[in-house]
Amino acid sequence: MKFLKKSSIALATASTLLLSGVSVADDLVLSIGSRGYGAAVGPAIESFEADNPDIKVEWLKISDVPSESRKLYVTSLMARSATPDVFAVDVIWPGEFAQRGWIGPIDDAFSEEELGNFNASFREAATVDGKLYGVPLYVDGTQFFYRSDLLEKYALDVPRTWEEVISASTTILEGENNPDLTGFVSMWAKIEGLFMNWLSFTYANGATFFDENGKVSVNSPEAIAATQTMVDMLYKHKIVPESILNMRPDDARTLFQQGRAVFMMVQDFVYAPLNADDSPVKGKFDFTRNPYFEGHADAPATAMGGFLLAVNANTEHREAAIKLLKHMTSYDMQLSAAVNASKSPGLMNVYEDAAMQDDEVLQKFGKAYAAGVVRPSAGTGSLYPKVSDAMQVAITSALHQSKSVEEALNDAQEKIEKLLAK
Amino acid sequence: MNAFNTLERRTQFVGIGFVTPTFLVIALILVYPVVQSIVLSVGQSSVDGFEPYQFVGLEHYAALMEDDRFWRSLSVTLIFTAISIPLELMIGVGLALLMNESFHGKGLARLAVLFPWALPTALNALIWRWMYNADYGLFNAIGLESGLVSEPVNWLGDETLAMASMVIVSVWKTSSFMALIILAGLQSIPRDLYEAGRMDGMSRWQEFREITLPLLKGSIMVALIIRSMDALRTFELPFSLTDGGPDSATETLSLYAYKVIFEFVEFNAGSAIVVVQFAVIFSLSLLYIFTLRNKD
Repeated sequence: MKFLKKSSIALATASTLLLSGVSVADDLVLSIGSRGYGAAVGPAIESFEADNPDIKVEWLKISDVPSESRKLYVTSLMARSATPDVFAVDVIWPGEFAQRGWIGPIDDAFSEEELGNFNASFREAATVDGKLYGVPLYVDGTQFFYRSDLLEKYALDVPRTWEEVISASTTILEGENNPDLTGFVSMWAKIEGLFMNWLSFTYANGATFFDENGKVSVNSPEAIAATQTMVDMLYKHKIVPESILNMRPDDARTLFQQGRAVFMMVQDFVYAPLNADDSPVKGKFDFTRNPYFEGHADAPATAMGGFLLAVNANTEHREAAIKLLKHMTSYDMQLSAAVNASKSPGLMNVYEDAAMQDDEVLQKFGKAYAAGVVRPSAGTGSLYPKVSDAMQVAITSALHQSKSVEEALNDAQEKIEKLLAK
Repeated sequence: MNAFNTLERRTQFVGIGFVTPTFLVIALILVYPVVQSIVLSVGQSSVDGFEPYQFVGLEHYAALMEDDRFWRSLSVTLIFTAISIPLELMIGVGLALLMNESFHGKGLARLAVLFPWALPTALNALIWRWMYNADYGLFNAIGLESGLVSEPVNWLGDETLAMASMVIVSVWKTSSFMALIILAGLQSIPRDLYEAGRMDGMSRWQEFREITLPLLKGSIMVALIIRSMDALRTFELPFSLTDGGPDSATETLSLYAYKVIFEFVEFNAGSAIVVVQFAVIFSLSLLYIFTLRNKD
């Protein structure tokens, strides 16, 4: 049996090594997505190699879609592969990866002053049992996009609350009388993005995933009311198309870009395509922080996404790996990624740099992310994927009306309590 | 006598020598994963991987019995197989009969029929997902333009429609595979049987019932076995088309096992699902083999 286990690990490791094409002793493998942040990675590696002639860095270009790069990581790390040495992890992974022993603590490499510059939610997500496991690379999250031309046409203010979103949608839909136009779109398919959406809605009503005693509270009255609003937007106010239940972020973006939706709440990566020269809505849209429910103006309603860099727990070059990690996440690199790749820095002091003062878009993003909701990944550790799945199942059954909101959330509450009690 | 014995023994040794490498390779790639899955399914490994491994008996199977999602995925798999295979068979036989006729451009027609089969399922599924899209998909565009429907149809968003959509893609894609195997069977039927039939005044329908169908039984069986095993293992299609949704209406056993293993990182619980699936497919193939043997 021992032999079987060992050999399967060896096999998996060998295949990982083949995939990443690594063998030489002093090489580091850095794994970061090639889209998005990618534009900043090449120059950053060059400058690192120039400063450290004894270290060679190979860039393993992975998918920017977290669920896809996760597959690669799970198979390699499960097999205790020593590579990639340094890799980009989604903000929801550090809790789970640390608990599984896949990434190592890196507190010793950072001073309290440096830590103070981290985006606070990211620092929280990367801290497991009081130890730091990741450094913010860039931050993104959900933003609320709206058609400024349509709001102007009907002399409406930019909605700040969900109540205003619903009434503005109704006014515009009635006025336009266009069967192709819909009020609000987002990613409500049964994906991680649905859970992000739900957190944006419920936190905006003063709910929290864990209550003040650290107990799960997904069926609080505030959460139930906010979820009911999501259901009502579909069936009562009819400002949301039923196809939203299949939509992933890019499906929503397509509809909004075709000029067929007034409002949209998705991650900020859609800004670039929406604002492209050939985009039908260029100059006709803007964005603002996510809406809140009346009476909860201070609620943190922005569900956060984004990536951190972490160090493989089994790396054979820890010292060099930490050097690379510090370089890749340094002030200069984050500034360059902001300027060249339009990625919101995860270090808060970068926003104050003179070079960033004119970038209104990133400044707005940054303000929203300074007070965001980070998903409950650090607190649930290796159980996070199951917790998120339980929530996706519950929210989906409420949105499909196969269960009442209360019933669905009660079920989720019970399921998650049971999971975390184990 | 003695000489014969040595010769026989030598032949035996040579035989074993030839068989051993093949046997080892098959054992490694076929038997080992099965054994490993069973071993994993009756144990519990630590959170970080395979070790330490602790034997827990049938705990994961007991949990499966209580798991609604498992039962749902089992029934989704069986329903999908039970609906799509007969449809594929009927269309496959029809296509094969057509391709067996001689007409102008026959080669091109055969190529066209095989085209869906040649494309990777994952790619097919993505193309179909676009066409099914409720807001900017091809089918709704045609339906709305022509007035067939007054409101966009939410193809992949409705539980029944999503299953139907998945069956349609599967039938579109794999009927040609059925057709190919059946065509090979058709071509092995001697022409003179038909000539004899014609002399006896058989109609086309009688020809089909009395000559073609009985002689096709073998190839139909082969096509059925291969396709139903495929259907019971369906993974890429729901993975790329619906991701098992809406809710879990199109989540097959393979897809559920995949999620448990690679998303929840629970190799042991996931292996239990895989072993159950293995048992289902294995008993079905035994059933087929048994029926085939009886008929011969």
